Amino acid sequence: MSNPQESNEVRIVRATSAFDCGGRCPLRLHVKGNTIIRVEGDDHPDSNKQLRTCLRCRAYRKYVHHPERLMYPQKRIGEKGEGKFQRISWDEALGILAAKLKETKDKYGPASILLMTGGAYLASLHNGSLAASRLLNQFGGYTTHYGNLSSEGAVWASLVQYGSVMVGHGREDMLNSKVIILWGWDPARMISGTNTMHHLIKAKENGARVISIEPRYTDTAATVADQWIPIYPGTDTAMMAAMAYVMITENLHDQDFLDKYTVGFDLFKDYILGKEDGQAKTPEWAEAICGVPAHTITEVARVYATAKPAALMDCQGPARSAMGEQYNRFAATLSAMTGNVGKEGGSACGGLMGIPIGHMFRMSAIPPGKNPVEMTGPKIKGTLDIRDRVIKRIHINKLWEAMLEGKQGGYPADIQMAWSVCNNYLNQIGNSNKGDLALKKLPFFAVNELFLTAQARYADLLLPVTTAAERSDLTYAWPSGPYYTYVNRAIEPLGECKSDLEICDMLAERLDIENFRLGAEEEILKLMVAQNPVTSKYVTDFDKFKNDGIHRVKMDKPYIAFRKQIEDPENNPFETPSGKIEIYSQRVADMNKPQCPPIPKYMPTFEDRNDPLFEKYPLQLLTPHPRNRVHSELYKVEWLAEVEPHRLWIHPEDAEARGVVDGDKIEVFNGRGRVSITAFVTRRIKPGVVSLFEGAWYQPDKSGVDRGACANTLTKDAYSGGGAAVMNTSLVQVARA
Amino acid sequence: MQMGFYFDQTRCTGCNACRVACKDWNDVPAGPENWMRLGYLEQGETPDVFVAYMVHPCFHCESPVCADACPANAITKRPEDGLVFVDREACLGKEECGAKCLKACPYDAPQFGPEPQAKMGKCNLCHDRLAEGKVPSCVESCYTRALDVGPLDELKAKYGGGTEARLFKYSNRTKPAVILKMKNPQ
Repeated sequence: MSNPQESNEVRIVRATSAFDCGGRCPLRLHVKGNTIIRVEGDDHPDSNKQLRTCLRCRAYRKYVHHPERLMYPQKRIGEKGEGKFQRISWDEALGILAAKLKETKDKYGPASILLMTGGAYLASLHNGSLAASRLLNQFGGYTTHYGNLSSEGAVWASLVQYGSVMVGHGREDMLNSKVIILWGWDPARMISGTNTMHHLIKAKENGARVISIEPRYTDTAATVADQWIPIYPGTDTAMMAAMAYVMITENLHDQDFLDKYTVGFDLFKDYILGKEDGQAKTPEWAEAICGVPAHTITEVARVYATAKPAALMDCQGPARSAMGEQYNRFAATLSAMTGNVGKEGGSACGGLMGIPIGHMFRMSAIPPGKNPVEMTGPKIKGTLDIRDRVIKRIHINKLWEAMLEGKQGGYPADIQMAWSVCNNYLNQIGNSNKGDLALKKLPFFAVNELFLTAQARYADLLLPVTTAAERSDLTYAWPSGPYYTYVNRAIEPLGECKSDLEICDMLAERLDIENFRLGAEEEILKLMVAQNPVTSKYVTDFDKFKNDGIHRVKMDKPYIAFRKQIEDPENNPFETPSGKIEIYSQRVADMNKPQCPPIPKYMPTFEDRNDPLFEKYPLQLLTPHPRNRVHSELYKVEWLAEVEPHRLWIHPEDAEARGVVDGDKIEVFNGRGRVSITAFVTRRIKPGVVSLFEGAWYQPDKSGVDRGACANTLTKDAYSGGGAAVMNTSLVQVARA
Repeated sequence: MQMGFYFDQTRCTGCNACRVACKDWNDVPAGPENWMRLGYLEQGETPDVFVAYMVHPCFHCESPVCADACPANAITKRPEDGLVFVDREACLGKEECGAKCLKACPYDAPQFGPEPQAKMGKCNLCHDRLAEGKVPSCVESCYTRALDVGPLDELKAKYGGGTEARLFKYSNRTKPAVILKMKNPQ
């Protein structure tokens, strides 16, 4: 048989990418020799049903074959962070890492090894995060981090309110909604499920009234919204409280629904009416906080309460803030007040939007085993009290401080070395300048990477990793299906690149670990499908699945979260302690933690508009998802970079007050850092708010100015009561450069 | 028969998937040569802002003034489907003729790379895909289904005869082969 890599024939390979993105899209890769020469999308015969990929994977081949990809192992020859490296062999590289792991474990104990994992490769088998966890668990343990940067607030809120994270509806269900409120949600940019925007447009064309509430006039709002209501960041709960006030005082709420399915509404009502703290949460009260006119709040409350069904689409962005989980809890409470939970055309809220079919939370995975370092002490999983979780793990948004301060600062360990796979945290968690200090101080840092990212520049050892095009694997959609996808290997690994799993496999040998290896790729994938209790229910013909690259699950009607609990509550209690929707949570009350009230509340926070710091830094910073990258992945792809220059959104009022005009070079700064960027003067943002898309690579110059304008040079390394990273709670100032 | 585009401006989110898909299929490098471009319009005051995007491929005009302007006769209109093609071999190069085609075109469809004496390139409606019964790459890539392609008569029958959109002026002189659905403020 001839080698397809040497053939001139063009082969079509069915695959997906595995980025940490909002979609999961069938791709048909045109491959000639060992090069992807074109990308086509889904070829479902009904074009309306095609799961169409976005611009990011339209440029996939320019990512896979990018000239700046790391092609061989390297070791540092310059200063830490300088980015100077020397090519070495795999043999030397693995030798260095294995020796460091052994030496550190022997000298300081396994807890002094930090494993940094991430979501940069969302697939089952070659999943670096799980592979490295498995390896180090077998090796003797390590310290790692806790918390998901994207969704922790929404996860916490959904667990409190519903006891479940599967709070979504099939996207087609938006066609059943009379009113759709986009509360901070911008699927046009971050996709939020392949085809979501397509369904949202169809809902709009079907007559749904669409309202967008958020500080920016997003591309989604510009396409579908009848009304844009600009609001100050971090104050969503003030407006939501006032909406509840209007519903209660005008008797628009669904008391029967509340009586039947919820607990704690009376206590919530007392809070809203001011019986608890002497402050009625009137629209006028809210206006002074959130900047939305009282009459607008009243009108939206009436529209939402009276249009049945109505879908309040909360999400995760506004929850990445100093009291983020309160926003999702409040949204879910409004949904219960209007009887929209478990109903077609409604929405349970909670911000996660997933359904249990094809969801990445139900993904087949390499069994990582147990971490010997974490065998004693409180459980990491299952608790709502973040204080328990950070006894053994470091909160993800405190990684740098933990490296710098160690046990003295109250962190679980004194870190002597770190190994990073599938992440670029220097860029993607709060306070990049603190990360710069921490990584320069860290005695040894090994990084598995595809590019010389902001973080990889600080490595002592660089291990080159393959893309999803160079592997076969199973991928799962974010937030969910209903479908399953198979990645067929399109090309053989480029250069000397290896998958994270292969790297771990080679390391296992050097660490004298015998039971790491899983078996041959396709055999394991077959097993992973067969043994997954959800996937196996739907994917029954593995060969067809592999051949088609996708298995679509046929649904008679769209999945509705909590349909059973609402239609037959006797036999289907909610998974909460009370079996009901918990507007009041006794579990949260028992935590006795002021940041986590048992009912959802508006609370002032650090770096809000009333913080004394506001005088010095009078602009609130948003750091939303970019449309032309997946976080910091794809940053180097020129086809994508040229689509939209990296700019700061600023309102003309704020620009004029600083002598700034559109296109000016400006600096954005606060006590944590300073970035250099171009101004985009636009009326699409609320005055007093500026917006910087996350993911641009951190590039500090000699004077400390970040020339790459990474959003996290400005964000705070802190987390909310529910564990949300506070990416949208920062005050900044802007000046001409 | 005249082939043409349909563009529903109300569905366009400005995502640029069409532009990237065009570069991919036609292997056009990053840089100034863009066979598909997106125009951006922002009007009004916060919060009553109006935003619209407009696609700018080649509209394969019924009277292609670019062809008339070309001193080398490198641009031709194919009789059977009205597609306007450029022969890059015959093109003299941007500086040589002063980009007469680009100057003549009301829609800036003729595009040039950054290199000296760059040859003109532009949208060819993915004629190779059409020949295989596929839609152009931009149409296939549009995840909001704002684009369509077909014989102009059929597009008119299907979508009406709209020739107006934001950031677009119908040229009676060139007669662009496009049917449009215009976006208006809510």
